[in-house]
Amino acid sequence: MAKDTLDLMQGTVAVLILKTLSWGPRHGYDVSRWIKSQTEGVLELEDAALYQALHRLEKKGWIAAEWGLSENKRRARFYQLTDEGRGQLQAEVSTWRRYAEAVFKVIETA
Amino acid sequence: MARVPGFRRSFRFPWRTADQVSAEVEEELGFHLEMVAEELAAQGWPAEQARLEAVRRFGDVEGTKRFCRALEVRKETRMKWMETLGELGQDLRFAGRQLAKSPGFTLVAVLTLALGIGATTSIFSVVYGVVLRALPFAEAERLVRPYFVSPEGEPRGAFSVANFLDWRAESKTIAGATAMYQGTMNLSGGGGEPERLPGAFVTADYFSVLGVRPVAGRTFAPDEDSPKAALTVVISEELWQRRFGRDPEVVGRSLLLNGKPHTVVGVIARGTQLPAGADAWVPMVFTEDDRNQRGAVYLAVVARLAPGVTLEQARAESDVIGRRLAEQYPEANASYMKGMTIKPLREQIVGETRKPLLVLLGAVGFVLLIACTNVANLLLVRAASREGEIVIRSALGAKRSRIVRQLLTESLVLALVGGAAGVALASWALKALVKLAPRGIPRLEEISLDSTALLFALGISLLTGILFGLVPALQTSRTDLIAVIREGTRGSKGRGGTRLRNALVVTEMALAVVLLASAGLLLRSFARLQEVDPGFKPESVVTFNLELPETKYTDEPKLRAFLAALTERMHRLPGVESVGATVFGLPLAGVDNTLSFQIEGRPPLPPDKEESIRIAIVTPDFFRTVGVPVVRGRGFTAQDRQGAQQVVLLNESAVRRHFPGEEPLGKRFELGWTSDGVTRGGEVVGIVADFKQNALEGEIDAQLFLPYDQAPLESLAVALRSTQDPQVVAAAVRTEVRELDPDLPVYGLQPMTEVVAASTSQSRFYMLLLGGFAVVSLILAAIGIYGVIAYAVRQRTQEIGIRMALGATSERVMRMVVGQGLVLAGAGALAGLLGAYLATQGMQSLLYEVSASDPVIYTGVALVLVLVAAFASYLPARRAAEIEPQMTIRGE
Repeated sequence: MAKDTLDLMQGTVAVLILKTLSWGPRHGYDVSRWIKSQTEGVLELEDAALYQALHRLEKKGWIAAEWGLSENKRRARFYQLTDEGRGQLQAEVSTWRRYAEAVFKVIETA
Repeated sequence: MARVPGFRRSFRFPWRTADQVSAEVEEELGFHLEMVAEELAAQGWPAEQARLEAVRRFGDVEGTKRFCRALEVRKETRMKWMETLGELGQDLRFAGRQLAKSPGFTLVAVLTLALGIGATTSIFSVVYGVVLRALPFAEAERLVRPYFVSPEGEPRGAFSVANFLDWRAESKTIAGATAMYQGTMNLSGGGGEPERLPGAFVTADYFSVLGVRPVAGRTFAPDEDSPKAALTVVISEELWQRRFGRDPEVVGRSLLLNGKPHTVVGVIARGTQLPAGADAWVPMVFTEDDRNQRGAVYLAVVARLAPGVTLEQARAESDVIGRRLAEQYPEANASYMKGMTIKPLREQIVGETRKPLLVLLGAVGFVLLIACTNVANLLLVRAASREGEIVIRSALGAKRSRIVRQLLTESLVLALVGGAAGVALASWALKALVKLAPRGIPRLEEISLDSTALLFALGISLLTGILFGLVPALQTSRTDLIAVIREGTRGSKGRGGTRLRNALVVTEMALAVVLLASAGLLLRSFARLQEVDPGFKPESVVTFNLELPETKYTDEPKLRAFLAALTERMHRLPGVESVGATVFGLPLAGVDNTLSFQIEGRPPLPPDKEESIRIAIVTPDFFRTVGVPVVRGRGFTAQDRQGAQQVVLLNESAVRRHFPGEEPLGKRFELGWTSDGVTRGGEVVGIVADFKQNALEGEIDAQLFLPYDQAPLESLAVALRSTQDPQVVAAAVRTEVRELDPDLPVYGLQPMTEVVAASTSQSRFYMLLLGGFAVVSLILAAIGIYGVIAYAVRQRTQEIGIRMALGATSERVMRMVVGQGLVLAGAGALAGLLGAYLATQGMQSLLYEVSASDPVIYTGVALVLVLVAAFASYLPARRAAEIEPQMTIRGE
């Protein structure tokens, strides 16, 4: 892949959001910044996609939303992992790990 | 309950509207964009450009908004549903607990409702099955029957062949028309007992016009009613099963019908028979003579409206054709009809049963209303004892609507449980109804508790639940917090509640009076019917029918010989005192056969003024056997035989009608009936007493009797007067007839008393049902008034105690309490009598010699109600009289 940034595969966004929220409630802007800084800008996650994913996850019941105040005392919508979301995160992480291991095995033996 | 996603909310937030959702999405995204813009500004972007850049980096802002909004709204709706369901579950569980806490109340309420809903559902099933349900034919609503309109304006269903053919040829509004006449056929041979089959002679297109498909084989081919065609028959599924054990080989087999072999071409499904109960259909062949026959009317016609034609259009067209037929052929048609009309086929099939059934449905609706009123009253009384609970709940912040909903849920649960019990009751009652019902109610055997009936039961259960639950719920929820607290826990509903309860009891009583009055009228009418003198003596008489097939009894000597041999054999049976036979003339089971006549010496009348008289043919001993006396002149004797002078007898009605103030004996009749060149008729030699020919409640027709020997016909009804048990006679009759002619079926074999009983069975059936409903409603009303008085006594315990302490005797207290009940009963009776007067006006046609506003019945009913009310209030009154003044005053 010649590009500096990687397009996100379907389903990856969900894992990233769930992981991001596993450290505590965050609002959307925070989630976006966190993902950017953690992946050092390699993963390009468009904000539009992020928000759509947040709402989708909320509807699925993996995360829950509540209005609160941001660091600069402004009203913001905070998202939080539900019990169900936590379970989902674990399941997805282990799937990712097995997948990546399998891919690496192939790549490194070649 | 499924888990609601999102925060587990311990306090519920009000649900968001679509606008609110939209605003929140706007705010969330707005916050993000501002934050990004600030971040950019901190990196040195000018404010305006920073904002634009933030939007650019975000991607599709509007699309995201739309997406999020839709998602949120959907989520909101789902949660609202979940919560409603959750609350419903809560309400249901709570209602269940509440009802279980007072099993006595619940049991009475459920039973009352089961009675009401069960009775209504079963009668509805009957009405639906008989009156409302579509006929079992393809597009049955397009099937019609044409009628001629008589000069007096009465519909006449019978057509002559020529009139039928002309009408069918000319009508443009019909897609097809078929003619038939009902008849019976002797089925014999093939090893089984000979059997008399009800059936019909039909044109070949009969089944295709009706839209009936066979379950086996085929129906008639178009040319199978031509004179050259081989003899064929279509049989019913019943006959197929009964006689042939559903043998598929039956198609193609030959059956001996009236002594002639007919090939079975097909089988018609159960329930699609027309006429109902028919077992065999045979093509009717029109000879050239038949086609020109305009005077003999015997065909019933069924037609299918052409596509797009309305009943009114067809009616208008037939009227034109009818008038023309009347003008064109005055000699044949003028006295019979002046025009034509068209009626739906269903109307004719449902016919006379419609009205009594609708009356029954109305009556049962009243029972249901009374049941509702009773349960509403019970709920009101119960609500009074639940005031505490309601007050606490509203003090804790329950809204009024929530409390009403809770109370309504309770009554709906009651109604549904009652409805379920009612359906069980109805399925049982329906079986009993079908078994008890008199013959002559069409389509009755097809009735079942089908999905329509079940839906109906569910519907009325819900409706009754709301009906009896809403008023008490509204009343209860209006409980005044402050008043209750001030008065202590045993608060009182005050004037309003009492007034409502009284109003309900008065309503209930009024409804009961209407039912009692209707039932009373039917009862009186039935009693009148029982008193009717039928004009003959049915006791110890057994009757049966024989149809001598023309193929075997080809001429008059053979008919005479058969009857002579039969009479001879019957006479030899032990215990037989006399034997008589008749054609058309069996009392209460007569066949209306009317002939035109001329009395010798009177000037001939024009064709449209021609007089006619009902005729019957009898053997010399017939009148003695059935107990009809000869009042003047002589009866027939063995000398009135073929070749002797022709003689006739008249009944008293005929004398009154045709010989007012004249001597009938010795006059000569000439009938419009010629056979072998001989005009039937003869000299009047005697007068016999009137007897009922068709039905006990019917008028007696003028009738003329001919001696069998001078006018023999094939359809015999034989009567035996015997000292033996009817069963023994019946067995002997069958043996004798079989020895005489093994192919001849004996049918209608029964004691004559049963013929009489059958003729009142319809009115007995309706009377018993309506009477049953009236008794149930009276009991319910009694329970209602008892409940209200008992409750009033309980509430007035203190007051009564004080009165007694001040010197009121227990007698006086009792009088006061019973008086209260009587006032209610009086009001109910008055309202009820007025209602009954209005409601029973429509019943007049069901009554025999009783006026729908019969004063005896009305007074009697009012009296019964007052007595029952007095008794129902006597019980609580006695309890009131036993109140210990000391206890009550100290007690509270």
